[in-house]
Amino acid sequence: MGCEITNRERAGVINPMYDCQPAGAQYAGIGVKDCIPLVHGGQGCTMFVRLLFAQHFKENFDVASTSLHEDSAVFGGHQRIRDGVMTLVRRYPNLRVIPVITTCSTEVIGDDVEGNISACRKMIKEEFPGRKVHVVPVHTPSFKSSQVGGYAECLQAMIKTIATSKAAPSGKLNVFPGWVNPGDVVLLKRYLSEMGVDATVFMDTEDFDSPTLPDKSIHTHGRTTVEDIAGSPNARASLALARYEGASSAEYLKNEFDVPAHVVPTPYGIGNTDALLQKISEITGKPIPESLIRERGIALDALQDLAHMFFADKRVALFGHPDLVIGLAQFCLEVEMKPVLLLLGDDNSKYKKDPRITEMKATATWDMEVVCNADLWELEKRVKSPDHKIDLILGHSKGRYVAIDNNVPMTRVGFPTFDRAGLYRHPTMGYQGAMLLGEAIANTLFTHMEYTRDREWILNTW
Amino acid sequence: MPMVLLKCDKDIPEREKHIYLKVDGEDSRDFLPVSNAATLPGTLSERGCAFCGAKLVIGGVLKDTIQMIHGPVGCAYDTWHTKRYPTDNGHFNMKYVWSTDMKESHIVFGGEKRLEKSINEAFDEMPDIKRMFVYTTCPTALIGDDVKAVAKKVMSERPDVDIFTCECPGFAGVSQSKGHHVLNIGWINEKVGTVEPVITSKYTMNFIGDFNIQGDTQLLNQYWEKLGIQVIAHFTGNGTYDDLRAMHRAQLSVVNCARSSGYIANELKKQYGIPRLDIDSWGFNYMAEAIRKICAFFGIEDRGEALIADEYTKWKPKLDWYKERLKGTKMAIWTGGPRLWHWTKSVEDDLGVQVVAMSSKFGHQEDFEKVIARGKQGTYYIDDGNELEFFEIIELVKPDIIFTGPRVGELVKKLHIPYVNGHGYHNGPYMGFEGFVNLARDTYNAMYNPLLKLAATDIRGPVSTRFLEAAE
Repeated sequence: MGCEITNRERAGVINPMYDCQPAGAQYAGIGVKDCIPLVHGGQGCTMFVRLLFAQHFKENFDVASTSLHEDSAVFGGHQRIRDGVMTLVRRYPNLRVIPVITTCSTEVIGDDVEGNISACRKMIKEEFPGRKVHVVPVHTPSFKSSQVGGYAECLQAMIKTIATSKAAPSGKLNVFPGWVNPGDVVLLKRYLSEMGVDATVFMDTEDFDSPTLPDKSIHTHGRTTVEDIAGSPNARASLALARYEGASSAEYLKNEFDVPAHVVPTPYGIGNTDALLQKISEITGKPIPESLIRERGIALDALQDLAHMFFADKRVALFGHPDLVIGLAQFCLEVEMKPVLLLLGDDNSKYKKDPRITEMKATATWDMEVVCNADLWELEKRVKSPDHKIDLILGHSKGRYVAIDNNVPMTRVGFPTFDRAGLYRHPTMGYQGAMLLGEAIANTLFTHMEYTRDREWILNTW
Repeated sequence: MPMVLLKCDKDIPEREKHIYLKVDGEDSRDFLPVSNAATLPGTLSERGCAFCGAKLVIGGVLKDTIQMIHGPVGCAYDTWHTKRYPTDNGHFNMKYVWSTDMKESHIVFGGEKRLEKSINEAFDEMPDIKRMFVYTTCPTALIGDDVKAVAKKVMSERPDVDIFTCECPGFAGVSQSKGHHVLNIGWINEKVGTVEPVITSKYTMNFIGDFNIQGDTQLLNQYWEKLGIQVIAHFTGNGTYDDLRAMHRAQLSVVNCARSSGYIANELKKQYGIPRLDIDSWGFNYMAEAIRKICAFFGIEDRGEALIADEYTKWKPKLDWYKERLKGTKMAIWTGGPRLWHWTKSVEDDLGVQVVAMSSKFGHQEDFEKVIARGKQGTYYIDDGNELEFFEIIELVKPDIIFTGPRVGELVKKLHIPYVNGHGYHNGPYMGFEGFVNLARDTYNAMYNPLLKLAATDIRGPVSTRFLEAAE
């Protein structure tokens, strides 16, 4: 009994859980309106990440490449940065932001990104007087951190470049939810609006779920504007909902512009959502409205039907983004499931000291393992081993064969979930998200009972 | 003015050399788009990198081989769950990917030890697997890790394993095409001739340049079995590492994808005197012609004719049902390269479909020679097309359907244009007679999707009476 924190002991990775830093940076970049990230590296670094986004969201996103070739590897890629930026500025007249995202190759070569960006700014000024395009240096070598850190890095870099001064207080909240789905962003915006709180969600990805319209117009893009970013120093406070994907930006705004920063629990599950709403209420003085009390009650009402009857004592393995995995482990406990295996997929040494993990460690009355720097082979080995007796897997689609081959029910959650339809549209955060995830888990378990003839008759009368 | 400067390219006039509009009385001796040239930065090209050309396209298809990618984790993550090439052993190739997960210290101090450890671990973790490809990536190539030396060391310590190294950093060449080349040439020079096959037929061949997309290889294999031809090696659909080491013993090399795999067929001819026969495997006319050519080589024409007759009886009526409904359709093809020339004439002859625009990501000069010879007048032939060009071309040619990848498919959906996955297929296989019926069916189902009509309807406009009448 008790919680053990371990590390992947192999040097190599078999089946990675996260993509590399530039992928995360690209995800942050596409959250901004009138923005095309320019990835300084080989073309694959862009092409595959665009494909990954398309697999998950079933949408196309624009990301450009400097198309690094051998000559740049030898002589440096300076001209390709300049050509890339200027080609984008010339061909896309509405473009306002270009994050220049480095990769392993260009960091090894050591291209002077800042210097080339200065040159670009000068060229833009000369060729397009009166037009402002923010060219943002984003250093994300693939051999450091992961998509998680890359997301945080690009977010912070854009704030650093665009939010340069503090003006009159706006009374707004900056909300940093981290790398979440459009369904989560819609939920957070609704909660804030029901509370009567004026806030900006960074990044507002609501339109990553975009319509097919009679006039054929395309609206698949981030909604966070240059003005939103530029106005972030004027906010009343910053709320980071993700310790590893947004907290650094909140910290930056605190250090540079004295915007109070609050790192709150990632709102997965009822208790974490309570804590978020209470914190918002505390900061803004606005009461938690009746509508959210009711929504909370509906979620509790739904989850109570599932928890003690079906979920209790189920042994769950979770993998994915760190804030998601930790938040969902807390949710598991609320509904009487046992989070026995948490897999966090990069070498960030802070996970071990995460207060939420420390708390679980202090209170765990079941056997629990947190594997840091994990890959999905760590999951597969444990799922295969009779000692672990995993009843349920919660994670993203890259782990699908672990579930399929070992006949363990798996509910898809996180990024990417390309082997299930429409998940990006549903919230996982908030009361509604907890309810929807709980019900998705229940339906996964029910279907599994039916197809494995495991007491499927219980449901004859449920 | 056969070379075209699109409006969206006014700031990158170099693009004029890459876009050709075929008009009466011209052929590729007069005009040929520039191809296999460096991409302009910032254009939103569709191209990938040399690493993916080697790993994702060719090596990763093998069903019994560990794919060790020496580099940061992204190169592995990104070339996993992005292809549809099953195998007859439970899809080992699609389930796993391996990375040395290179970190900053390895960049500084070298990654060879890390690679050696990762290779040994991978073999230890999966003791039934004895074969491995090792790929370099951008950073490992830049720091100059000697992967061949590492592979040699491991092989000397583990005599039951065999390792092939492929030096294909993403920045090499201008597209994935470079990776195809590096892998082809490396394999023939280092591995072919190191295993002797068991010969079971008088007639033997290599089948080259088919990657078992949704079962293409397995479908065609039924034909070769019926004809009594032994396929020594599939390069690389549903293939094994050791079969590919025995390619030197085939009497004939049959090549489908000349772009990705023509190099090895040429070398087999040069080094072992094995003749190269190029075929097209998509389409009824082409498939029949291919079977005839192969059977003529072996002197088994009768068997070939019998097979073709059987297949026509079985599948031609189904194809004709779709042809009746698809003729006159305007199609665009935006894929890698060779499928442009494989498909343009076959959809025209077999389905009455007219191809109005084609874009190739990584085709070379000979691909454009072939496609312009086979394609029609009034059609655009584009090298390395980019997003704004696609929008403009769509306006110019108004295609009814586009064969392209899923991401671009999502984009054109918003323009009310259906797509069929021209890379991984919708519901394949698409090769062979049965396969081309599948292609026709998927094209038909995409074209006649009732949602397209609904998408174009603005309900603020005239009231639609159809559903109301049906309800009354």
